[in-house]
Amino acid sequence: MDKPEKLIVDGRRLDGRLPDEMRRLKIQAGVLKRADGSAYVELGDNKVLAAVYGPREMHPRHLQQPDTAVLRCRYNMAPFSVEDRKRPGPDRRSVEISKVTREAIQPVVFLELYPRSGIDVFIEILQADAGTRTTGITAASVALADAGVPMRDLISSIAVGKVDNTVVLDLNKQEDNWGTSDMPIALMPRKKFITLLQMDGHFTPEEFKHGLSLAFKGCEQIYEAQKQALRERYSIKSEGE
Amino acid sequence: MYEIVSSVKRDYIVDLAKQEKRIDARTLDQYREVDIETGLLKNAQGSALVKLGNTQVVAGVKIERTEPYPDSPDCGVLMVNAELLPLASPTFESGPPDEDAIELARVVDRGIRESGAIDLDKLAIKAGEEVWAVFVDIHMLDHDGNLIDASALAAISALLHTKVEGIKDWTLPEFPIHKKPISVTTAKINGKLMVDPCLDEENVMDARITIATTEDGSICAMQKGGIGYFTREELERAYEIAISRAAEIRKHVG
Amino acid sequence: MIHVQNRELVVPGQLIADGGYFIREGAFREGQQIYASVVGLADLHGQNIRIIPLQGRYMPKPGDVVIGVVIDTHYSGWILDLNSPYVGNLFVSDLLQRKVDLLLEDIGQYLNMGEVVMAKVKDVDERMRVSLETSEPGMGRVTGGKMVEMAPTKIPRVIGKKGSMIANIQNATGCRLKVGQNGRIIIWGDNPLMVSAVVEALLMIEREAHTSGLTDRVRLMLDKLKSEGGT
Repeated sequence: MDKPEKLIVDGRRLDGRLPDEMRRLKIQAGVLKRADGSAYVELGDNKVLAAVYGPREMHPRHLQQPDTAVLRCRYNMAPFSVEDRKRPGPDRRSVEISKVTREAIQPVVFLELYPRSGIDVFIEILQADAGTRTTGITAASVALADAGVPMRDLISSIAVGKVDNTVVLDLNKQEDNWGTSDMPIALMPRKKFITLLQMDGHFTPEEFKHGLSLAFKGCEQIYEAQKQALRERYSIKSEGE
Repeated sequence: MYEIVSSVKRDYIVDLAKQEKRIDARTLDQYREVDIETGLLKNAQGSALVKLGNTQVVAGVKIERTEPYPDSPDCGVLMVNAELLPLASPTFESGPPDEDAIELARVVDRGIRESGAIDLDKLAIKAGEEVWAVFVDIHMLDHDGNLIDASALAAISALLHTKVEGIKDWTLPEFPIHKKPISVTTAKINGKLMVDPCLDEENVMDARITIATTEDGSICAMQKGGIGYFTREELERAYEIAISRAAEIRKHVG
Repeated sequence: MIHVQNRELVVPGQLIADGGYFIREGAFREGQQIYASVVGLADLHGQNIRIIPLQGRYMPKPGDVVIGVVIDTHYSGWILDLNSPYVGNLFVSDLLQRKVDLLLEDIGQYLNMGEVVMAKVKDVDERMRVSLETSEPGMGRVTGGKMVEMAPTKIPRVIGKKGSMIANIQNATGCRLKVGQNGRIIIWGDNPLMVSAVVEALLMIEREAHTSGLTDRVRLMLDKLKSEGGT
């Protein structure tokens, strides 16, 4: 596909959004039976499934920690999730994303309540359209709550970037391909503590600050949707049914 | 990793079997409810999500150009891959496909390939140099037994709904798939045959037999699994079950 | 100052209260504020704050009655799966309530892999190593029956106040139940229809554990099933 001449026309992005608008978000908790906790999230055309097993006995034994649980995250893209088929199995990108995902989530989990155990988080990308790692973190956080893993807060995650010299919230695939900056962020929404921050491209300090503000606003919306999904999952049915 | 089944559960299922009953109150030849959703993934040429009871499996079809195999220079290539994702079960581990994943993929592959469902000889672009490759990737999402049937169903559903419009420089009028092979697995517990084993039944069964058939009743693939055995009469009975259940299941497939 | 209503459904990170309340379960303190740490129902009485978790793994506590499955054996005892991140250790002397000469006795005659045991948690150390014993009547190896598993957080409802719910179920169906705090329940009954009725009742309790009037609804449902099925 060739680069479009302009990515922002009359103040609107190619898909009609304003610079501070997120794509459509849908979150469902408890979608799998076998896993201890699960969540399914759609952000624009991203379709992501997260599952949590644990706390459970940790194997292999030698990786156990005597006084805390060990959190492990695995981010995986299905071969059919992207335009050019991706060979199955972890590649270097997936390994890095798995690591930063774990480091984004770990600060909120009360790991010390479960010595010697393991908590496994699996993120499966079924369909990708830029923003899979942030969608994965958003889903993983809901899955952990769904599993009953005690946490200080949920983690909400979104990316900001720059196209046509404008800082925008939640890049889609075209904007990710042709833009000049990409910055995924994850937050503990209550205290606005940043637990994931990556960036590649070009930002002036002002653009960076503006990007952070946009991300904070986006994460507020995501946080509401995450909480709503959990409430719906466990909503009290009317009595006398 | 495998699960230990408690003796209480094992005894319960084995006793029920003797009375021709099952743990989820189905009859011996009753299949669980099948739900198929197709075309849900836009980056795949074909896709299907199958729910078989609580078992959930998703399959995606990707079509790309590739070199042909040396011994079939003018045929397209079919590759079926299965992942027993750790998210589907506490007994699945991360890593390259193990013997269960490989067996499952190869059994599903045979059902499609040997039935001639896809006209692979129509998928050549330039004989000896370039052909179309059809990749079917099957991911388990939630394991409650009978992943083989659910996977085969997801694969054939995805293939039947494969859209060629988005493929760059596609060389054919349409996607050449013409048959609907359906796989039916029957388990043996305490001498009784029961179709479509759920997870608890799989953990306790002596053996299973998977039979894939096409519309005219001919068999295109079979696979016996597990460390028990089948008698000839049992296999013939399993074939009867497979034919009649396949006819019903085929109605769900577009 | 309390910020939520009693029995309100709360999510992790939600502000529950400001001030000097006593946290019993499911919440944590940051400075003056108290926040929920799990998805659960707020249970507020006087100065006590408890968030009853709607999900969560079983954590062994001394005195709990549990139903375990043997997953490993060693020279002097067995390791039991407790449907928990932590396994239970049962030494043969704690199973038999006597000293055992391991040179003379083969412990395999008492318990084997996959067998089910009703036991009591004797002790849990700071590393979550759990030791079990079977001194009470009805404990030890368990055979027959139908085993079901449910979320351990719902088990208190299955038992009921002073055992009222479990008595309710047993009386209405003529079945016998053994309930483990770790979410496992075994049902014995001569009439398979009544055993199924018990399973239905348990499923109803699991779904509606957080509502009131449950005891009556369960009894109504069981009476209905009994008259339909006949005993």
